[in-house]
Amino acid sequence: MGNTELMTGNEAVSRGFWENGGIFAASYPGSPTVEILESMKKYSEIEARWAPNEKVALEMSIGASMAGGRTMVSMKHVGINIAADPFMTFTQIRTKGGFVLVIGDDPGLNSSQNEQDSRFWGKFANIPVLEPSNPQEIKDYTKLALNLSEEFGTPVLLKLTTTLCHGRAPVQLGERTEAVVEGFVEDQGRFCMLPPYANKQQYFMQERIQKLREYNNSTSINALTEKADADTLIITSGVSYQYLLETQPNASILKLAMVYPLPIEKIQELSSKYKKIIVVEELMPFIEEILKANGIKAEGKRFFPFTGELTTEIIRKGLYEAGILEEKPVINEKNIQIPPRTPMLCAGCPHRPVFHILKKAKAVVMGDIGCYSLGILEPFEVLKTNISMGASLGMVQGVASTLRKAGKSEPLVAMIGDGTFFHSGMTGMVELSKTKDNITVIVMDNRTTAMTGGQFTPTTGEYLEGKGDHTISIKGILEAFGIKDITVLDQFKYKETKETMLAAMKREGLSIIITTRPCALNFKIKEPYFYVDQEICISCRSCIGVNCPPISMKQYEGKDKKNSYINPDMCVGCSVCSQVCPVGAIKRSQKEEA
Amino acid sequence: MGTTNILIAGVGGQGLVLSTRIISYAAFKEGFDIKSGDVIGLSQRGGTVWGSVRFGKEVHSPIIPNGEADILLGLEELESLRWLHLMRKNAHIIINKQNIFPNRVLIEKEEYPKDIVADLKSKGFQVDSVDAREIARTAGNVKTENIVLLGRLSKLLPIKYETWIETIKENVPAKTVDINIIAFNKSRE
Ligand SMILES: Cc1ncc(C[n+]2csc(CCOP(=O)(O)OP(=O)(O)O)c2C)c(N)n1
Ligand code: SF4
Ligand code: SF4
Ligand code: SF4
Repeated sequence: MGNTELMTGNEAVSRGFWENGGIFAASYPGSPTVEILESMKKYSEIEARWAPNEKVALEMSIGASMAGGRTMVSMKHVGINIAADPFMTFTQIRTKGGFVLVIGDDPGLNSSQNEQDSRFWGKFANIPVLEPSNPQEIKDYTKLALNLSEEFGTPVLLKLTTTLCHGRAPVQLGERTEAVVEGFVEDQGRFCMLPPYANKQQYFMQERIQKLREYNNSTSINALTEKADADTLIITSGVSYQYLLETQPNASILKLAMVYPLPIEKIQELSSKYKKIIVVEELMPFIEEILKANGIKAEGKRFFPFTGELTTEIIRKGLYEAGILEEKPVINEKNIQIPPRTPMLCAGCPHRPVFHILKKAKAVVMGDIGCYSLGILEPFEVLKTNISMGASLGMVQGVASTLRKAGKSEPLVAMIGDGTFFHSGMTGMVELSKTKDNITVIVMDNRTTAMTGGQFTPTTGEYLEGKGDHTISIKGILEAFGIKDITVLDQFKYKETKETMLAAMKREGLSIIITTRPCALNFKIKEPYFYVDQEICISCRSCIGVNCPPISMKQYEGKDKKNSYINPDMCVGCSVCSQVCPVGAIKRSQKEEA
Repeated sequence: MGTTNILIAGVGGQGLVLSTRIISYAAFKEGFDIKSGDVIGLSQRGGTVWGSVRFGKEVHSPIIPNGEADILLGLEELESLRWLHLMRKNAHIIINKQNIFPNRVLIEKEEYPKDIVADLKSKGFQVDSVDAREIARTAGNVKTENIVLLGRLSKLLPIKYETWIETIKENVPAKTVDINIIAFNKSRE
């Protein structure tokens, strides 16, 4: 094996960046790209930084590139939406230090709020898009991206997907080659995007994309596998290529490495040799539409779904319908007779008591993005909206204003986590700071970005008492915004929390509640477990309503009714269930069992 | 030889990612081409999670095609039922005697299926039902539960014992190497 190592796609990105002289990498956590920056941290030559959001990550990277360094910024697909403002102007500039933007799409929405197809940014921003199909290619294309970036003066989009980011395969390792960093050389005509400088860059981008198209027509990075006497050409890219190989179609295959700008002339020439041109691509008909617009009779979405991940069997089915596979594929149906298993808040999760109280209070709550989004699901069903990070705050004002104008005002609540607060909640808070409507904002400060694996937030340090990074106080920020009605509380004191929340929801104007219990999972919190004394339990099921994974109703021997049961291996001893039991049947064990 | 396809099924938080990694590295060290995949993300919070390892002379897709999985390693009983459409006829199923109730069972809206092992056997699968937690406990630490299951799996795969031991050593926390190896050996007895 020698120099070969098993790597995930995410690790291969980092390795490729390191081998090719990368010096600055920034990101904001989000599935599926989290491990890119995490695995970058082991390379001491690279400064790897988590930013408070994708926009800042991109802006730091723009600076690094302008200073002449080889730069990478990585994010999940929706991250680029918030970074789009600097991005759409940066792309006009002739790039200096090699600049790679890595975006991880999530077809099938494994852990996302939408399914947007990032290849469209290539067309929108006039930049090339590379789509690798396995970890080795991911590493190779990272190198290619850095080189193309400097050669053509363009940011390059390396587009991955969940399966590619997380999948593992052998990768050939190389040594690091240092890249020369020229430094920041003043050049206003190049770096100041205002008229007249910016006008002229429209022509520059046009020419740049034209040159890239010529490059793509002549390069060997797009692989053609010709099958003698096949009358079909299948055009594909990314991980779909690997699935396609499994189906062994009787067709020639053109596997594209660069999906924008497409090598149109090359495809035109090729397609004249075939009766049928089939495009196999995940999500939108990106390649298909460009081919059609250029007069190539390609078909794709007629046979393949526009949503969800492709799989070998979906491709088999599509190829059969397109008349390319002769045998009708036999596909075993999924077993849907069994209970689904949706995600749940962990045992001891600090978000749980807050949901429990809001449910009882029948509050109208605008939700946000984080572990607390699970409050949408059964049995809480407390959050009534979920759009994008930070959106709850602006939305709650919009709802309040409209209800007031219509004479239908009612108390409203918005919920946001500490991670999301710093990501994009603060500007919403500025707007809310002057509201006269009855709005309560609950900031769930669990001291981390829990959902994406527990990256630090600016409040982590406060909890770790100086052991973490420097800290920023959310309360301090809100006070500086002129907000007066702020309560900081420990939500594991159930009764007090309930009273405080109910009172706040009655008050006119803005009230803020900041909950401070830390994430149980990421800070590995485990206290002596609780158990149910069946002699006392009256089977009322109040504890079941708390919805903690260790608690279920169980048939004990010699009893006619079921009683509550707490699995001691799973309970982490937060005490919340014991506080909602009306008869005191839930008690703390003496010491933690090994 | 053809490709060996292993599906690992479990519940978020059960340590499935590490199991998938160990199997992948063991196959890699043994000199096979390998591809693996897993779903991590939102489902990490107690939802359905799965991993796949495919190894052989040359492997393309990291995802096991429908009906082609040779072995299912079920870290939990109900989750073992969820992926039968991916299994070959007569495939091996190593199933942990562990029931973790999903949300709808906890809130009494659905029942946890009964007699899962018998059901799988009646469908023609070769089922090895393992009380991994108990074996782990007698080996000295319940946290070695997944390694116990890997011990059973190791007996079905063309990967040398030494390769497994080396891989386990490299992938579990240094302090727990000995206890993990004891658990691995015990489950192979
Ligand atoms: C624009 C954007 N970037 C990243 C993500 C991925 N993501 C999902 S939840 C979350 C943050 C959650 O942090 P926090 O608000 O502190 O809530 P917690 O999970 O800790 O409860 C992130 C970054 C996203 N959904 N959208
Ligand atoms: S990871 Fe933390 S915040 Fe998220 S559900 Fe678990 S305990 Fe709650
Ligand atoms: S004390 Fe109750 S609510 Fe808290 S972790 Fe244990 S079972 Fe869950
Ligand atoms: S809340 Fe108390 S009395 Fe009611 S079911 Fe639970 S343990 Fe029993």
